[in-house]
Amino acid sequence: MSMLACVILLLLLIFGTLFAAILDTAIPAWIAGQSGANPLTTPFRRCAQFLAVQRLTTERPDMLNWLLAPAAYLILAGIGLGVVPLSEGLVFIDLQTGLVLWGACEALTVVVVFLHGWSANAPFPLIGAYRYVAIGLPAMLVSMFVVIGVALPAQSLSVSAAVEAQRGLWNIVKQPLGLPLFMLLGLSLTLRGPFDYADPFDLAAGTSAEDSGPLRASWRFARLAMLVSFSTMAATLFLGGHHGPGLPGPLWLALKAAGVMTILVALGHVIARTTPSRMLTLLWVLFLPLSFLDLIIAGVESLP
Amino acid sequence: MAMRWLSRLAAADAVPVFPVVGENGLAAAENLFLDPRLRPVPSPRHARVLLVLGETGQTLNRQLRRLHDQLSHPRATLWCDAVPDPDFGRATESSDTADAVVEAYRSMFAGAMDTEPDIHPNEPPNEWRGKGTNGQGGDGMMGGTPYGRPMAMTDDDLRDGLQLDAYSATFGPFLPAFPPGLALDITLQGDSIQAVSVSHPPFRQETDHSRTGSLRNLARLLRVLGVPALAARFIAAARKLEDGGTIDLDVLARAFDWSGAMHIIPSDLGSFGGEGRDVRSRVRAWLNIARGRQEPAPLGQPALSFVDLVKGLEWYEAVIVLNSFDNNALRNLCPVENTDDQTEEAPQ
Repeated sequence: MSMLACVILLLLLIFGTLFAAILDTAIPAWIAGQSGANPLTTPFRRCAQFLAVQRLTTERPDMLNWLLAPAAYLILAGIGLGVVPLSEGLVFIDLQTGLVLWGACEALTVVVVFLHGWSANAPFPLIGAYRYVAIGLPAMLVSMFVVIGVALPAQSLSVSAAVEAQRGLWNIVKQPLGLPLFMLLGLSLTLRGPFDYADPFDLAAGTSAEDSGPLRASWRFARLAMLVSFSTMAATLFLGGHHGPGLPGPLWLALKAAGVMTILVALGHVIARTTPSRMLTLLWVLFLPLSFLDLIIAGVESLP
Repeated sequence: MAMRWLSRLAAADAVPVFPVVGENGLAAAENLFLDPRLRPVPSPRHARVLLVLGETGQTLNRQLRRLHDQLSHPRATLWCDAVPDPDFGRATESSDTADAVVEAYRSMFAGAMDTEPDIHPNEPPNEWRGKGTNGQGGDGMMGGTPYGRPMAMTDDDLRDGLQLDAYSATFGPFLPAFPPGLALDITLQGDSIQAVSVSHPPFRQETDHSRTGSLRNLARLLRVLGVPALAARFIAAARKLEDGGTIDLDVLARAFDWSGAMHIIPSDLGSFGGEGRDVRSRVRAWLNIARGRQEPAPLGQPALSFVDLVKGLEWYEAVIVLNSFDNNALRNLCPVENTDDQTEEAPQ
């Protein structure tokens, strides 16, 4: 069973990443009103372009961490995806504390992004790194309360139990604040649009500014893989996971995850990014209290 | 076999170009990147082609040569409306720049054109000046100027007096987030600017206070705010207007509103004397000019110097402020305090 889950998981990761790369080409081109680049072939061409060029390093980089950061980012995406039930009784990492493991993946992502910026030994990557930590930590805090809100009615920290608790009605209806707040974390975990404080244009691509060649390809792949992982988790926690009529559970999950992913990519390309200090204020003064409210709603819902 | 297949696939991708914009080259650069075969990249490490658009002058030649070496192989340089450096690249006509860039890129991957060799040896640009074995030159493991580049050293923070690492370096003159040509000597603590002086002012660009000029200014700001696709739409609209076409400016204005760009800029950011002279008001004026609701007005004499405007801001805030002026207005605000072209560090 877990072998089947592993195969489905790998397929989900590979095809999900490809789908994310296609979206990342198609949506900005559509917004810009440009035509010409084929979104179906561009991800392959881009990947080949990254791989076919020389990898340059900086002076005295922390080479080990530079290489490990994308690998660790990818592994975290994989582990996060591993706790998601693909259908009834089909889950690769069947933990009673699956939500805690997901939370650990969120927290470690902040560490990994910091390491990526740190290791190049250059100013822009380093600024991007600690700027990301400043924003990533409170964003994670918001998500923790939202995830606890999901665990409350399920009366369990198991992701499977959270899916089961949505058999009658999805959490997006029962806890309307949950998904929008959780999406903020998605933007932060995948370094996108209004939460891309790690690799932004003003820092000449921030933590990625010194990446070249295969290193750049691996970082890009890991970012997209995390997008797949997050979207699948969001679909699981708020859109009923694999539940749905007619189609097999994994297909329902993939469709819901694709929907979340499309919204995330679109948001990343249309919403402008505010200053870090203003974003910090928003996180602490607006989003964190909203996550408390979400928790209260979840608590009321859980009352017998 | 595999490498040949990889190269063929890579050659079919949009060309990653690092644009170096010189005198009067900004609008041409923006128009050029409407071509889907080209893709501007924010870091020279990500580029295969270095494209110089407009004269950058002898003063910045040393920085340009060092920038060239930051591109990984295979790489090529093209000069458009500029005299090429004899050591690298070749000139191209402005009428067929996009074609020339694509041809150079594909030729490199097809093996028909050699990559350009490094100009400088792959070693530190300045001699060793550190005191210790790890390059430190100040106290303990920090500070000093090993290899001529200052290393971070604790110093009082402007805001709260905490002792934080201060790092000084020159940023620009080819940093894409800065107006072209602008180079600043900055001391950063974290991403807070503690000290700043201008080492090179922005290049002159063609003055355009019309609707199209406002659309281009808005596009530059949107790119900084992390919505480059929307910025490209504004540039395309400006281009269409310049070509005599018509566009629905209300749709663009709505897209601008929905991006939240106006709301995410802090009020009073980049204010230079008096109410209504901050970034938000300048952006609002551009929007009104673009929609034909306001006539362009001169910026007026600033009550503050450029340095006062930027000092104490976070890096991102400072970049927003820089991009809230059109290039020529910013040029007037930039007194050049350090014209020493022997300044040692110029990252990009």
